[in-house]
Amino acid sequence: MFYYNFKYELKILLRSRWIQLISGLLLVLFVFASFNGSQKIEKRKAEISKAREAVKTSDARMLQQLDSIEKGHKVQVARWMVPTSPIAIGNYYPRVAAMDPNEMGFIAVGQSDVFTHYVSPRVSADDFSINFTEMTSPIQLLFGSFDLVFVLVYLLPLIIIAFSYNVLSEEKERGSLRLLASQPISIKKWVFQKLGLRFFWMAVIITVISLGVFLLNDVVSISGLLSFLALIFCYMLFWFSLAFAINLLVGESAKNALSLIGLWIVFVLLMPSLISQTGDIFFKIPPRMQMVQEIREHKAEAVKKQDEILDNFLRDHPEYAVNDSAQSRNFWHGYMASQNLLKEELQPLLSSYDEKLEEQQNWINKLKWTSPAIITQRALGRLAGTTKQDYDTYQEQVLQFAEEWRSFFMPLLFNNGVFTSELAKSLPAFEYKPKSDNYLVSSLLGLLVMTCVIMGVTVSMYSIRSKETGILGS
Amino acid sequence: MITTNNLTKKYGDFTALNQLSLTVNPGEIYCLLGANGAGKSTTINLLLGFLKPTSGVALINGKDVATNTISTKKDIAYIPENLMLYPTLTAVENLDYFSGIGGQKLPKETLESLLSQAGLQSDAFYKRTGAFSKGMRQKVGIAIALAKEAKALLLDEPTSGLDPKASNEFGRLLQGLKQNNVAILMATHDLFRAKEIATNIGIMKNGKLLEQFVSDEISLPVLEETYLKTMNYKELAV
Repeated sequence: MFYYNFKYELKILLRSRWIQLISGLLLVLFVFASFNGSQKIEKRKAEISKAREAVKTSDARMLQQLDSIEKGHKVQVARWMVPTSPIAIGNYYPRVAAMDPNEMGFIAVGQSDVFTHYVSPRVSADDFSINFTEMTSPIQLLFGSFDLVFVLVYLLPLIIIAFSYNVLSEEKERGSLRLLASQPISIKKWVFQKLGLRFFWMAVIITVISLGVFLLNDVVSISGLLSFLALIFCYMLFWFSLAFAINLLVGESAKNALSLIGLWIVFVLLMPSLISQTGDIFFKIPPRMQMVQEIREHKAEAVKKQDEILDNFLRDHPEYAVNDSAQSRNFWHGYMASQNLLKEELQPLLSSYDEKLEEQQNWINKLKWTSPAIITQRALGRLAGTTKQDYDTYQEQVLQFAEEWRSFFMPLLFNNGVFTSELAKSLPAFEYKPKSDNYLVSSLLGLLVMTCVIMGVTVSMYSIRSKETGILGS
Repeated sequence: MITTNNLTKKYGDFTALNQLSLTVNPGEIYCLLGANGAGKSTTINLLLGFLKPTSGVALINGKDVATNTISTKKDIAYIPENLMLYPTLTAVENLDYFSGIGGQKLPKETLESLLSQAGLQSDAFYKRTGAFSKGMRQKVGIAIALAKEAKALLLDEPTSGLDPKASNEFGRLLQGLKQNNVAILMATHDLFRAKEIATNIGIMKNGKLLEQFVSDEISLPVLEETYLKTMNYKELAV
């Protein structure tokens, strides 16, 4: 049976123009969505590159000035920007801590619209003032971006529904089912093969188009392409398994279409929204404004007590004690000492906020297994490196780098040291290192388990029904 | 051989078929006559395994259809009242598909020969069946049955809607199959055609087989009168 289904299914699909329609539609959607995604990536790359160029220019200027000073020349520069001062370097010659987009970034805009992808930590600015959010269009935030993930997670199931909702009911309504069912075949197997072949041809079309789109975007990672395709195919399998269930268990084309659209609404629209709502209800996070207000109050308090704080700080750090008359203490010493204290005092507040956020995220992470749309969206986002988790990793690394940056200048500042062109060679640099985990395997397994459960339940229900009433009993 | 033994189908309180027992031997054509709702199509659906019997058995060559649904279908060919094919496939492709999924791989020449035997004109072999008349589709259906080399043929009002010429051609084709020792069970409203081709005739009403005749032993007018009386159309009976 399989050979003949294989031989004629493609003929039927070609002659009824289904293959042409689906190929054209997917081609347009993929090209447009990947173009949108790559535009954003280009913009992001250009911004990062511009910031890096600015650093290069200012570094060249800084080295030139240091060279002049070291040779005993006078330089024309504002007093607070003289590059021999560690604070001047720490504040006015910061490094760019950038989250470079990965080569598959174009498939999912994800959170890249919400979070910034480069910052320049300075010694005088505290960690809380590093702004990781950027201004975005509220309309875009509401509807998301028209990227490949949107096409795959939201639109592809609709195309699958249109392509598969009436495989069996069409035979019934056209009148060919009775002739078909009189052949020595199992209708269940026949529907399975027909849907399997439709899945196969759709997978072939998607593979060819994806290959083209990836080549256009200069993606050279074979494993990236394979992971991308594996995720799409597993997500497609889920929707084809639902179509299998509805074809066998419902019956009429109109009812089938309505049932599948209903399931699309549940899995793609309703579940993600419900999960988010329950997260908000069960794990209420204190308003961010409240936290910002508390930080401000602590800061104001610290500024008032800077001298006292500095004394305490020096008591805790004898290595910075004034040893000779050449050393002095000024505003920056007090300020830097108060920053350290502020950090320690705010730790419990920040931790409690982070814990609540983590609890909420854990809850959502658990419930994501109820929606294949969330699983696929997150996994594709991870492939693109644009999920909240990726930005959290980036922010964490930026904060570590900010600490490293400050620590580089602290001994210089408190020992009244001078910044030199030799020290410029050892300035800390930031490099974003994406976290790797087993999200891809777990997502693929999750989708496959869902598919198997649906198939198993469908086959059991259909067998029970056909035993009771016969294959056309309903 | 087609056999039913006290075959009964009930839907709740409604009895669609009530203890039907009949036998169609190889080389025989059994015509079931009866008004709509008499139980003719239910009988055929039970013989095809489309429905499960409430009680009794339907046998094809001695095998119970209910428990051997797929294997018994290897011996059955079926032509429904309104045979529909895949409209975007040609007659040869439809024949190739339906015989192929049933497990028969036939070369192109055999497919053409079968369509010829079924009476389809050769210029229609490679035309898409979407534009075929009912008569032409029935001929492709006959070719599918011929390809299957079935030992039993079930026909559900196959001549309804056919013009007299096509109906006559169809009758002759059935006679040819009868010569090949095929057991044929045909549900029909067409008394004339039944008398012409059948070896045995049964009259059904309300799910029951009320009368049975050997076709050669009854004339068409007597058959007609008996049918009308059985149906309670007394005012029409002579």
